Amino acid sequence: MAEITAQSIEQVESIATTQQPPKPFRIGDLLTYAVLLFGAFLALLPFIWMLSWSVMTANEVSRGQLIPNQILLQNYTDAWNRANFGLFMWNSVRISVISIVGMLLFCVPAAYAFAKMKFFGKNILFAVMLATLMIPDVVTLIPNFLTVVWFDRLGQSIFGDVGRWINNWPSLTVPFMASAFTIFLLRQFFAQLPDDLWEAARIDGAGHFRYLISVVIPLSKAPIMTVITLAFIASWNSLLWPLLVANSDDWRPIAFGLSKFVTADASDEFHLQMAASVIMVLPIIVLYFFTQKQFTEGIASSGLKG
Amino acid sequence: MTTQSARSSWLNTRRGQQLLENLTAYLFLSPAILIIFIFGIFPVAFAFFVSLHEWGRFPDEYVGLAQYVKALGPFAYVLFFWIGIACLTGAGWALTHLWRDSAGERRGLLYLIPGASLTAALLAFVNWFFILLLFLMNVPVRLRGQQVTQVSFLNEFYASFQFPQALAAAEIMWIVIALAGVISLLFIVLIKTERRGHQLLQSMLCFTLLGAGVLILQLTLTEIQTAILAAQASGESLPIWSQIIVISAGVGLLGLAYTLWRRGIHADSDRQFVMQALIAVLLVVGGYLLIAELPRALGQIDRDIISGFNVTVMLTIGTVPLQLAIGLGLAVLLFQNIKGQAFFRVVYFLPYITPFVATATIFSLLFSSRPESPVNQLINSLGIADQNWLREPSGIFQLIFGSNVPDALAGPSLALLVVILYSTWVYAGYSTVIFLAGLGNIPKEMYEAAKIDGANGWQTFRFITLPLLSPTTFFLVLIATIGSFQAFSQIFLLRKPGAYEAVDTINLYILEEIRRDRPDYAYGSAMAFVLFAVILILTIVQNRYAQRRVFYG
Repeated sequence: MAEITAQSIEQVESIATTQQPPKPFRIGDLLTYAVLLFGAFLALLPFIWMLSWSVMTANEVSRGQLIPNQILLQNYTDAWNRANFGLFMWNSVRISVISIVGMLLFCVPAAYAFAKMKFFGKNILFAVMLATLMIPDVVTLIPNFLTVVWFDRLGQSIFGDVGRWINNWPSLTVPFMASAFTIFLLRQFFAQLPDDLWEAARIDGAGHFRYLISVVIPLSKAPIMTVITLAFIASWNSLLWPLLVANSDDWRPIAFGLSKFVTADASDEFHLQMAASVIMVLPIIVLYFFTQKQFTEGIASSGLKG
Repeated sequence: MTTQSARSSWLNTRRGQQLLENLTAYLFLSPAILIIFIFGIFPVAFAFFVSLHEWGRFPDEYVGLAQYVKALGPFAYVLFFWIGIACLTGAGWALTHLWRDSAGERRGLLYLIPGASLTAALLAFVNWFFILLLFLMNVPVRLRGQQVTQVSFLNEFYASFQFPQALAAAEIMWIVIALAGVISLLFIVLIKTERRGHQLLQSMLCFTLLGAGVLILQLTLTEIQTAILAAQASGESLPIWSQIIVISAGVGLLGLAYTLWRRGIHADSDRQFVMQALIAVLLVVGGYLLIAELPRALGQIDRDIISGFNVTVMLTIGTVPLQLAIGLGLAVLLFQNIKGQAFFRVVYFLPYITPFVATATIFSLLFSSRPESPVNQLINSLGIADQNWLREPSGIFQLIFGSNVPDALAGPSLALLVVILYSTWVYAGYSTVIFLAGLGNIPKEMYEAAKIDGANGWQTFRFITLPLLSPTTFFLVLIATIGSFQAFSQIFLLRKPGAYEAVDTINLYILEEIRRDRPDYAYGSAMAFVLFAVILILTIVQNRYAQRRVFYG
């Protein structure tokens, strides 16, 4: 009996908590699952409706039917063509690729500097940067619009039409290439990397740049993927700012395309509206299913430390 | 070869390494900082500058606080008076902080001098920049009627720097900057203290707040003076001063009652009675002052702003508790050893990541006013008549109890109710995931201890889970409240003709100021700042509350 020390009890207990034996079935469990499944059903219901309406005929939709009589895949091609989604989708891809590349180029080094380097004014700069998270978007909306219009004129007078901002990629991407939230999220991860790594790299003769490229970034694939996913979702979602700074279809994004299709072009054809919505949502959902683990964890951890 | 080794040897000194590290760091930071500055920090000052003018497509004349008076009525003066006082208080606070910090080392206080001169330099620069900004923004106006070529814009761009006012401001700026540079250098070389960077920054903060406070108060006082004079000229009286005094006294008395109440909790029973009586008197008097004066002061607020805030408040009250309750419930259920936890998490999170445009389209069809819409069919089967849902501007209590319910008690409109349901659907999963992470941070030993003490499920939840989860809850309340004050896309997408006013938050009114044919950027900016002030006050209040209630284990 004396051999049973406190430590061994702890071990037994930790085993017990990690590998729980199959519990006897209880009514409570059934209730738990019922509630959880009902929640999942409510979360999914609008999506189910969207999917089934997107393959119906106009008549079936207007009757309010839930189950389609036959599956009309033609709706998707109709919606794609009528909504001119080829163009809008291409625009959104261009916009998000440019802003994500810019964001990685600018935010990763900045986050690294805040996490691992010593420089004059570090704390002040970091505090000021975090303070920008408090500023509501609506305050910066008008001045940023005025700034962009002015940059547009300046760029045009220096570079000609290539240098335009309005109706061109700079107004849609440059303001989003650096965000305090992205820098903060990456910094939190970089700061956790052990300093021994840097000591070892420095002895091998690497500077900060080399260390960042060949050690830090390869170790930080998960948070970088999170940040990329967030940026992609944000740019796929963005409607208001493009509404102000893009006034021709050349650079208008997919969110604008869908909202225009729904309110103007096909305001009575609900089945096509739903088909177009499915097309718009698809890339986001696919991306989400591939990155969901890192993504939800990234959101949860960043949220809690904020 | 020799230069190479000389350079590398210099770089190997401690100083050289430090310099190199600083340079590299700023190289890494500069692009991000530049973008955040131009599109994140500068716009705040710019928006305030815009709101002090008439500003259509291009800047017009300076009008002072007129836009705020248009938005808030005379209450704007009260507000700005107190912002000025708050800045001065902040300056005083920074000064006492500096004094306490440097008590052991009085020489630190000498850093007030370079701090003051550097602040003056900063203010001179800001002054020059905003004078220049006005000319820069007006370049297209000056080019009106001319043949616009690529060169003409650039010429006018350079010409903006040459206007007499800009030149004068630039001259002052250079002189002040040179003086500040000399003074700061002198102090840095001559007086060596520890933490001098800290002392310098603190004295700069103190003087910046002092400058801002003095400027705002001066602006407000002259505005009040002109407003009173103008009112007298037209034979009316404008009770701005009495309003400021009465409202301030009311708020002050309530604040005093609150502090006494906080102190009184720890007082012994003899004094407690006196305390309670005092608190009651303060509450009654302060409350009476506010009730007597506030409606008169607030009565002249722009109708759009009142309606916008009404909607925002109802949206917040409707969404935040519901979303948090659902999130907490699902998270607690999921946190038990549930098969398929990952599956549920993915599904619950789905509405949050799906683009607003698509989900709002689905909701407008589900809740469409047609008799065949799914929701109408559902309530038909329950024996309720068809509803207009998103197109229904009347309040839900009026719909339930008939139209003789007064407007004040009408509750949120049916259209807003759909928006509330939509927002809850979108954000409940987000709360679930965050709560789940928060639950994961509660140490397991707590639950084991509770089990040993014989606590049942509800007791464990009430006395272990809830208190230890309070930082997460607080974070979510803050995020959700601010989020619903900023709600934009979902309402823009769900608003339907006939019920615009029922769902438009203040953001939508701001957007309208921008998007109409003759945009009014100045009034839009003023409304945005009013909203900003409200969000800021809410955040501070919630933070104060959290300091007492949130348990940071």
